[in-house]
Amino acid sequence: MVNELKVKTKTIRLMVGFITDIPGMDGIVYYARPDLTLGSGFGTAISIQCGPSVQEELKKAGSAAVTDVVVTGAGNLHFKYILHAVGPRFQEEDIEGKLKTTMLNTLNKAQELQLQKVIFPAMGAGFYGIPLDVSARLTLGVAREFLEKAADPKEVVFCLRDNRELKVFQEQLQKM
Amino acid sequence: MIESARTYKANKVVERMGKKLNRQIVGSLTACVHCGMCTESCHYVLANPDDPTYAPAYKADQIRKIFKRNYDWTGRVFPWWVHAEDIRTDEDLHKLKDIVFGKCTNCRRCSINCPMGVDFATLNRMARGLLVSVGIMPEGVAVVSKDQWEVGNQMGVLPQEYLETLEWLSDELESEFGDPAARIPIDKMDADIVYTINPREVKYDPRTITDAARIFYVAGANWTMPSEGWDMTNFGLFSGDDDLGGAAAQRVYDKVIELRGKKLVISECGHGYRSTRCEGPNWAGKETPVVMESSVLTMLRYIKEGRIRLDKSRNKESYTFHDSCNNARSCGFFEEPRELLNLVVSDFREMYPNRTENYCCTGGGGAMSMSEYTPERLKSAKIKADQLKATGTKVVVTSCHNCVDGLSDVIKHYKLGMKVEQLVSLTANAMVVPERAAVAVPVAVALPLQGYKILVVDDEPDILLFLSTVLEDQGATVIQAADGEQALELTLREKPDLVTLDLSMPGKNGGYVFEEIRNNPEIATTKVFIITGKPELRRLIYERPIPPDGYLDKPIDQDALLNNIRMVLELKHAHKLSS
Repeated sequence: MVNELKVKTKTIRLMVGFITDIPGMDGIVYYARPDLTLGSGFGTAISIQCGPSVQEELKKAGSAAVTDVVVTGAGNLHFKYILHAVGPRFQEEDIEGKLKTTMLNTLNKAQELQLQKVIFPAMGAGFYGIPLDVSARLTLGVAREFLEKAADPKEVVFCLRDNRELKVFQEQLQKM
Repeated sequence: MIESARTYKANKVVERMGKKLNRQIVGSLTACVHCGMCTESCHYVLANPDDPTYAPAYKADQIRKIFKRNYDWTGRVFPWWVHAEDIRTDEDLHKLKDIVFGKCTNCRRCSINCPMGVDFATLNRMARGLLVSVGIMPEGVAVVSKDQWEVGNQMGVLPQEYLETLEWLSDELESEFGDPAARIPIDKMDADIVYTINPREVKYDPRTITDAARIFYVAGANWTMPSEGWDMTNFGLFSGDDDLGGAAAQRVYDKVIELRGKKLVISECGHGYRSTRCEGPNWAGKETPVVMESSVLTMLRYIKEGRIRLDKSRNKESYTFHDSCNNARSCGFFEEPRELLNLVVSDFREMYPNRTENYCCTGGGGAMSMSEYTPERLKSAKIKADQLKATGTKVVVTSCHNCVDGLSDVIKHYKLGMKVEQLVSLTANAMVVPERAAVAVPVAVALPLQGYKILVVDDEPDILLFLSTVLEDQGATVIQAADGEQALELTLREKPDLVTLDLSMPGKNGGYVFEEIRNNPEIATTKVFIITGKPELRRLIYERPIPPDGYLDKPIDQDALLNNIRMVLELKHAHKLSS
C-alpha cells in the first residue's frame, strides 16, 4: 500500500505515530472545540508538553466558530505554530461540508504562515465520530487539490494513531 | 419513524437505535413482564427503597418506550396501550443521560436474576452509546473517551511517561535483585507472554507492575511489555461506543501480533478482561488469533509448576474476596481467583452473597469518572459496605483495578477501616525469592520529607492514593481529606506543614477552603499548594491578596510534584527519588 502521494513538487505523506512527538514539522494541527479548551486526548499532550502558554493564548482568543482556525505558538514543543482547527463534531448537520471547509481553512492558514511541513491527525475521526473513511476521503481530497495550486506547504503529513487508521487512509490515497 | 417533532439530535439517536437493534437487544426490549425480580437485585434500589425510578424495569422502560414508539408495530399503532413514547427534545436526551450513566453501573446483577432473560445492562449500554454518538455524555466520560481514542489509554499517559515509568521500575527491580537481567523487557520479539496493564497502574499504583515483574523474574518467564497497545482496558465497554471498543481492542491485538507474542496476559482488571478477552473481537468485527489469559491463571500455573514457591504466612491479615462484576457475571471468572487466594493467604473468609451474586463495588467499570453522580453512587454503596463489614476481615482482595478504587471509596465513606489488595501483590509478598536472586540490602537513608505532616485534599480517590503513596514514600506523614469541609476540619486539628488542595470539588470547593485558611489567624500561615485540572480556576486563586505557596496542573507529574513541594517547604537539598 502507498504511504506517499506526489502533487507536483509537493508531498502528502501517511505515517503512524504520536503526533506531538514527530520531529521536523513546522506546524501541528489540533482538532479543536469551539470553546478552544484543550481538553483531553491530544489536548493533554499539548498541555503537558507545551506548558501553560498555549492555553493562555487560547483564553485571549476566546472562542471560535466551526470551520475557524486559531493559531498559537507551541510553547516548549518543537513546532513553530499550533493550528487549532475547529471542526464539526458528533453527527452535526452538514458534517462533510464543514470538514472540507475546516481542512481548507487550515491549509490556507498554513500557507499564510509560510509553513513548509504541517502535520494533521485523522481530522474528526475517533472521539468526534466522523467515520474514518469519510475523514480520509475528504481531508486527503482537499489537501491534494490545495497543493496543486498553492506555494506552501511543501509537505502535508497525516499522523495516524494506529494501523487501523493507516489502512483506511492508504486505501483512499491509493484511489487518488 | 415519527420524525417531525424531534430535535436534530433526538432524531439522530432514534435513527441510530434502529441500526443497533439485534436479536439480543430486541429480546430484552420486548420480554419484560414487570415482575419486579430485578428490583431486589439492584444495589441502587436496595439503598433507595422508596424511589421507584431506580428499578431496572423502570430504567429499561425509558429506553423501551422509544423503541416501541419507533420500531415496534404495537407502539406505532396503539402507543397509549403499550406505553410507547418518543424522545423529542435535547432535554429528554439529557434526562436519559442521567438515568443510563447516573443510575446504573451496568453491573448485570439484575440481568442474571431476570426470569425472562432481559439483559438490562445491554440495553443501558446501547443507550449510552446512542447518546455519546450525539455528544451527550458526562464530562468525565468525554475526557476518558478522548484520551483513549487519541493518546491510546484511558488516563492520558503519554508514550514517554509510560516508558520512563517502566524504566525507573526496572532500575528498582535490578537494584532489588542485584541482577542486570532483572528488568522489564519492552517490545521483546517472540516472548511467551506479552503483559498488558490498566493505565491506573502506571499513573497511580506502579507497585502492581513491579509485583508482576518480580513474579515473572523469579518464575524465569520469557515475557515483555509492549510500547504501544499496552492498555487492556477499554472505555468503549463503559461508554457504549462500539467503535472505540473495536479500535482499542485492535490496538492491543495488533501489537501482540507484531511482536509475535505467544500469549497475551491481561493484568488484574475485570473491565479489561471482559473487554479484551471476551468482547473485543466482536467490537473489532473480526476474530483474533491472539491467545489470551488473565494474569491470575498465569500466577496459578507458576505455582502449580513449582516455578514460584510461596510462604503464605507472610500475608498475616484476615482476607475476604470481592468479585468484580465483569469477571464474575460476564465472564464466569470467579473460582480461579479464590483458588489463588487460598494459596497465598491462610485466613480467607468468604463474603455473602458471592461469585455471580456478589454486589457491585459501585465503581462500575468507569463510573468513578463521573463525579457529578458520586453522592448517589456512595449512597447505593451502603449495600456493599454492609457486606464488607459483615466479613469481619481487615483486607478485601479483588482482581480488578476499578474495584480497587470503588472499594477504597466505599471503605473511606463508610469508615470501615479496611484495606484493599490485589492478588498480584499478595502473591509477590508471599513469594519466596531464591537465594541467587535475593541480594539487595536496603540502605537506611534519611527520607527528604521525613518529619513533615502533609494534608492532601482531593475528591478523586485515585489522586488521593497517588499523592499519599508518593509523599509517604518520601517519608512524609500524610493525612487525607476528600472534601472541603473535612479539609478545613483537619487543617485546624492537625496543623499540617503543607496542604495540597484540589480546586474543583463538590460542596466547599478548593477556593473556599483556601480563603478560609488564609482568613483564620490560627492556620493562616499554613503552606497551601494548589493542584488543579482547571488552570482557569487557578487564576481566580491568584487574584487573591495573599497567593498560595505553589501550584501544579493535573495530570500530576511525580517529579514535578516532589520538586515543587521541596521548593514550597524550602528544603535545601534537591529532590532525589528514594528507593
